[in-house]
Amino acid sequence: MTHVLVVSCHPRPDSFTAHLVSRATSGLERAGHDVEHLDLYAIDFTTAMSRDEREAYHGDEPVIDPQVAEHIEAVRRAEAIVFVYPTWWAGVPAKLKGWFERVLVPGVGFRFDERSGKIRPNLTHIRRLVGISTYGSPRWYVRLVNDVGRRTITRTVRVACGWRTRTEWHGLYAIDSSDDAARAAFADRVEAAMEALS
Amino acid sequence: MGVLDRWRRIGPRPRKVLVVSCHPCDHGLLVAARDRVLEALATSHVEMRHRDLYAEGFDPTLSADEHATHLEPGVGPALRSHADDLTWCDTVVFVYPTWWSGQPAMLKGWFDRVWASGVAWELPDGADRLRPGLRNVRRIVAVTTHGSNKLTNAAQGEGGKRTLFRSVRAMCHPLTRCHWWAFYGVDVRSDDDRRAWLDTIGERTRSMFDR
Repeated sequence: MTHVLVVSCHPRPDSFTAHLVSRATSGLERAGHDVEHLDLYAIDFTTAMSRDEREAYHGDEPVIDPQVAEHIEAVRRAEAIVFVYPTWWAGVPAKLKGWFERVLVPGVGFRFDERSGKIRPNLTHIRRLVGISTYGSPRWYVRLVNDVGRRTITRTVRVACGWRTRTEWHGLYAIDSSDDAARAAFADRVEAAMEALS
Repeated sequence: MGVLDRWRRIGPRPRKVLVVSCHPCDHGLLVAARDRVLEALATSHVEMRHRDLYAEGFDPTLSADEHATHLEPGVGPALRSHADDLTWCDTVVFVYPTWWSGQPAMLKGWFDRVWASGVAWELPDGADRLRPGLRNVRRIVAVTTHGSNKLTNAAQGEGGKRTLFRSVRAMCHPLTRCHWWAFYGVDVRSDDDRRAWLDTIGERTRSMFDR
């Protein structure tokens, strides 16, 4: 049994992203995983790093907001993190970007090695990183031109994890012109993949 | 009236430069770079507008209402002056620190909210890709600092550069030119390196716009 943290980010509770979260969660729970869910819009997570947080960033106490402290505990408990979000401007929504900046601070996402003076990964307990996203553009365009959200998670956050951390990605492309059948098939695929997550 | 003034009167119109800066603090290398850019522009033959997203307390969170109406052209009253700046300029200069290999959430939120339908793009019925709407923008400049070195940044996927020079550029004029003025390894480089970089930023800005 694995402790899985699901981080989702969409302004509307009736969105397809919210549906994907519930399908992914039921897949994970059927496989016997412990699921903890952070819905960043629903809990009104602060988007941008404040001036005080930035001033404290490189100090001994980089965490000021108690909500951020709770999220850090959730990250430390997790063995897998599943991100569910709509891709905007090829990347993660600002609120999710702010979550990386405010939660994965020094001592959580990475640490400074005293001896070498270098930055070392600190998310080595995370065994799986999963991204589930919807795109306005068709797949060929996203893959050809840009997919910064996927890179942010499977490369930038991945670099902060251990050598053996595996990533997986599920994308629904050209969502504006997709029909109900395509969306239902994608939701089924997401649920099955989450049930198979090991 | 001197020859130079005459030329300015009959010569090419001044360039219209929009500077979008984003940093929570009022000190540090990035803020110094921003000031160099602003100083150089103030003495150049340009019209300039400056938006400091943190200073003006910009709200970077796209709301549920905005998402529900995101296909309808136009932006809300709070964003109208931002949209106006964007459709006015021919050059955008972004000044921001690179965090988690991309733009800070504050600047990402500015894209999410201001680069809206009817401003930056339109989506005709049945199309699955955006049509660019900012043909007035012909030059994008990024001034940014990285905590990590260049190699680490490459391994991390260079998200910030890709966002500006691919996704954002795709909404601008097809011949838009892009400039990347970056400083890597902020935490380990010497003060001499920093000073040299700041001087370079000032010189490059002057030589780009003062002609």
